[in-house]
Amino acid sequence: MSPITEVALVTGREVRRSFRSTKGVLLAVLSVAAGAGFSMLFAWLDRVKRENLPPGTDWRAAQEQFFAQWYAPETGRALASCPYSLWMMLIATLWLAPWLVALMAFDAVSGEMQHRTVCFWTIRVRRPSYMIGKALGAWSAVVAVTLGMNLVVWAVTIALGPWPAANVIGWGARFFAVTLPISAAWCGIATLVGSQFKTPILSLLFICTAFFCLWLLRVTAGFAQAHWLAYAYPNTFDALLLSPNLADAARGLLSTGLIALATATAAALAFQRKDV
Amino acid sequence: MSNAIATAPRFETAVRVRKLGKRFGSKTAVEDLSLDIAPGAAFGFIGPNGAGKTTTFSMLAGYLRPTAGTIEVLGFAPHAVNTLRSRVGVLPQDALLPASDTVGEFLVHMARLQDLPKNEALAGAHDALAEVGGQAWWKQRCGSLSHGMAKRVALAQAFLGKPQLLLLDEPTAGLDPRVAYELRQIIKYRKGRTTIVISSHNLHELEELCDAAAILDRGRLVACGSMSELTAANEEIRVLVAPGTRRGAEPGRVPVQALRELPSVKSAELDDERLEIVVYFERAQVDAETVIGHVLRTLLDNQVRISGVTKGRGLERRVMEVRA
Repeated sequence: MSPITEVALVTGREVRRSFRSTKGVLLAVLSVAAGAGFSMLFAWLDRVKRENLPPGTDWRAAQEQFFAQWYAPETGRALASCPYSLWMMLIATLWLAPWLVALMAFDAVSGEMQHRTVCFWTIRVRRPSYMIGKALGAWSAVVAVTLGMNLVVWAVTIALGPWPAANVIGWGARFFAVTLPISAAWCGIATLVGSQFKTPILSLLFICTAFFCLWLLRVTAGFAQAHWLAYAYPNTFDALLLSPNLADAARGLLSTGLIALATATAAALAFQRKDV
Repeated sequence: MSNAIATAPRFETAVRVRKLGKRFGSKTAVEDLSLDIAPGAAFGFIGPNGAGKTTTFSMLAGYLRPTAGTIEVLGFAPHAVNTLRSRVGVLPQDALLPASDTVGEFLVHMARLQDLPKNEALAGAHDALAEVGGQAWWKQRCGSLSHGMAKRVALAQAFLGKPQLLLLDEPTAGLDPRVAYELRQIIKYRKGRTTIVISSHNLHELEELCDAAAILDRGRLVACGSMSELTAANEEIRVLVAPGTRRGAEPGRVPVQALRELPSVKSAELDDERLEIVVYFERAQVDAETVIGHVLRTLLDNQVRISGVTKGRGLERRVMEVRA
């Protein structure tokens, strides 16, 4: 049996398991509900902002100025025509991503190690395939929840206006695509850290600690003027991924992909030699 | 006992272990273990808690990496998953089934991982579950199964794909006598067609199921051989006499001297406390059944009241006698 088939079988089962558990269902429902709530709030804020603009103000120029505070000028120009609520939803999704990944993925391996359920798999699945499948399964589950959240946000944004549906769906799909490689990187890190422990609570604790340390590196980067250090925190790549410059976007995609691949591979190699 | 004596004769083997060792930090769980298991045999690992049975078993199944020595399972290293996946079935000790899967989903998934196409996996899963008498549990969640049901489902997954080798770690541990009996019958049904390796504390079960066994103590192999060799079933017989029976030539008493003079008998002793007569005989000249006949005739002629007769000393007694 090819490793790809093995990985596909493990991934499929992992996704089913994620949405069959009470935890998975609860996280999905809460995430979608939160998405609906936030999107309504952002859409309302957007409308209030528009209504309170001084007369004669160029909305697009105002947006461009706003985004220039967050991104490079050319990215700010490119984002000027996007619905504000969708961009806020992207920021919220990126903020939520590590939490969602930690909660969805913390017991994927440790839960099966704790009760020796993993013994049923290791005689039938190559260990690297098992680990890669777990990482992919976690990512697929997170992507599914994020997509659900985004679909609700798009629907609310279209319903509340004033943006045309094509504009909302176009920007929405683009922002959703930005979250994919970033959440993959988080899933890789969570799988690497979480799989070192046989107790789910320890996995959760150390995953959260690892994520916090990465966030600290990003904060430190700001103070120390060492901007390269900020890229230890996967969310930082959103600026590259949003750039209209294809080379920047490719660099962002490659970097986050490499983080995901490297961490998942490291997890697989560590599991290869582990006593279960 | 030296491992040279303890190792079975070499011939084509299902499992070959050479100088196997496993350390956990400073603790040695298994040391210098060598043995062969013949194809088609039912082989037992026996020993007290901490003897190294489960550690050895886990190394055979690929769960643990040895720190010394080599293992060959059907000619391959235990972690050659791609080759062994459909040839080896394992029942791990104390491993919980995935709680959120239904029994059917779990078995089909396990069958799919053996590279069976979907429809064959489904049929195979149904067959394996039927073999353990669990057809009614197909749609039941694994987390809701009783201990006995879960054990049967775990056994069913070991049976998937008609494996050449079955590794069963404590297959009847924690089960009520009826369920344990049924599981033993299921395992017995496979004897001769599949190589079976069983690790168990239940010596009567091992004596019933196994053709050969290895006795481990404190991580070392202390005895290995066929069940009749280990229990000396072809070297001695034991006769229990009724309470109050004494030795002597008078009627109603055990004529020890007369027993010693029987043909092919090497020696005969009466344990006055246990009320047990032990008769050792030349196994090259006579079989246990013939000796039993002579001994019983002599005792009955002397009007001795007999409570029971066994061949050999029993695995339990053998294990108690053996120390590393």
